[in-house]
Amino acid sequence: MLLRRILTALALNLAVAPAWSAQLDENVQTDKNVLERGQYLARAADCAACHTEEDGTPYAGGRPIETPFGTVFGTNITPDKDYGIGNYSADDFYHALTEGELPDGTQLYPAMPYPSYHSIPREDSDAMYAYLMSLKPVHLKAPETELSWPFSMRWTLNFWNVMFAGKDTAEAQQQFDQWKRGRYLVDVLGHCGACHTPRNVLGAAQSDKYLQGEVIAGYEAPSLTPEGLARRGWSPEALRTFLREGRSAQGSMSNEMYPVFHHSTRYLRDEDLNAMSLYLMGENPPEAHVVEVGDEATADSPGRRHYLNVCAGCHGADGDGIPHVAIGLQGNSTLRLQNPRNLVKAIHDGIEARAFNGFERMQAMPGFANELSDQDTAELTNYLRQTWGGLETAIDASKVHELTQGD
Amino acid sequence: MPTRALSVTINGKLQPVEDIPEELMMLDYLHEYRNLTGTRYGCGQGMCRACTVIVDKPDGSSEEVRTCITGAHFFDGKKIRTIEGHAERGEDGELKGLTNVQQQFLKHFSFQCSYCAPGFVNAGTVLIERLQRQPVDRSQLESVISEALEPHLCRCTGYVRYYEAVRDAVLETSGTIAGRD
Repeated sequence: MLLRRILTALALNLAVAPAWSAQLDENVQTDKNVLERGQYLARAADCAACHTEEDGTPYAGGRPIETPFGTVFGTNITPDKDYGIGNYSADDFYHALTEGELPDGTQLYPAMPYPSYHSIPREDSDAMYAYLMSLKPVHLKAPETELSWPFSMRWTLNFWNVMFAGKDTAEAQQQFDQWKRGRYLVDVLGHCGACHTPRNVLGAAQSDKYLQGEVIAGYEAPSLTPEGLARRGWSPEALRTFLREGRSAQGSMSNEMYPVFHHSTRYLRDEDLNAMSLYLMGENPPEAHVVEVGDEATADSPGRRHYLNVCAGCHGADGDGIPHVAIGLQGNSTLRLQNPRNLVKAIHDGIEARAFNGFERMQAMPGFANELSDQDTAELTNYLRQTWGGLETAIDASKVHELTQGD
Repeated sequence: MPTRALSVTINGKLQPVEDIPEELMMLDYLHEYRNLTGTRYGCGQGMCRACTVIVDKPDGSSEEVRTCITGAHFFDGKKIRTIEGHAERGEDGELKGLTNVQQQFLKHFSFQCSYCAPGFVNAGTVLIERLQRQPVDRSQLESVISEALEPHLCRCTGYVRYYEAVRDAVLETSGTIAGRD
């Protein structure tokens, strides 16, 4: 019994203070509860998605982030003293997190979402700091970000901050706790607006178009407004499933959203996912629009023929998909976007294989750039959008060319 | 199930034009309508490429296409080669000779269960035909072969022998290496 107690105590101590633990700010708590909370908050803030190279060590940096102004690299935020945050105090970390400024005065590019993180309270910052400082240091230097002039002049960001990165002082006192929690997760930690809000020519989010959708790395991060979500068939329940499982009847995570699921949303507690969907869709969400499938689903047409030729093998002749292999297309959210960009590019470029929670996964979808002409792709896109997306509009070959040129 | 006429040339012979179901995959057409069972059904998801056939394009180039996920009607009007079309045969069907790729597969004994072999033979053949049109430097050969064969899966993990067979086949085919006859 004594031996068991000693071993248990030793194990707990190791869990709280690893042998490689960096010099922590003495004012920061590091007990097990704080570290777990810090880990949860870091996940909710989706730090790993940008600070982890593909297949790399978590938080060791190196992931390229494409911006309209050039490629920014996620930095090393392990406790390494040379290349990470090993020499940061809790104050330094809080300042960098919420103001985008490093201890040496270097101003971070707003690819780091400090405009969203402004509202992270000090106790949450300290918990995240304690967690990150408990990680094993990785002695790895992330590539230097080199933007073209004039964006390479970091001092200009001070003006950018004054113009665009003011703190959100609008406090919604009248709202209830779950709504506030959802707002914190969506607006602050999750920084959803960083991708889903249109940006102006200087790269700043346009607050009057909040969450109305934006193109990121060539793909549309669609509207997350209640009306936009409901129009594409989303209900709060479907949204929760999508964030927790990475897939739902409306589709599966892909492109820039997959890392968000992989590193962040799949770890969130149900009550937090509930709060997020409540905040996004409102207390009385608009009713999800259901697509009525008509006879055109099976009527002969050029689009139907392309579908049978290159899609039906995986998605089924009736668009039902194959469980654990390929998603269904009836009511699929991508088919219902007003802008055909994502659908055309998925057909043209394909989609990588994706692993989801448990043993669930979706196989890779091949790109059909070599099999389908622009005209073929336009016909297939129109068939998909009109049959299972409930859209009336049609695109032509020139639109396909416009969306895929340079690929 | 709706049907539609399909006209396709397989291994140099225009096949009888007949109505086949619109939703039929090419692999099933080859097996059930043409009795060409050398094209393998592997994963059924386009992943393993055991089902690969060669499509000969009008511009003289050739490419691999997976038949388990591609509808038969996609091949309407096209010319394809299956594994049965590689060896040279006489009028009576008697075997007269193997292609260089096939010879190399025999020489290197690039078979274990052989299930994936048709896909690998097709991939090696397409690669050689591409290199004859677009020769590469000798220094690039290893990576070019790797890139061509990597998508094909072999559950017996006989990759080294496949690789060596294709490399020797490339080296024995004139015009595939830049600056060398």
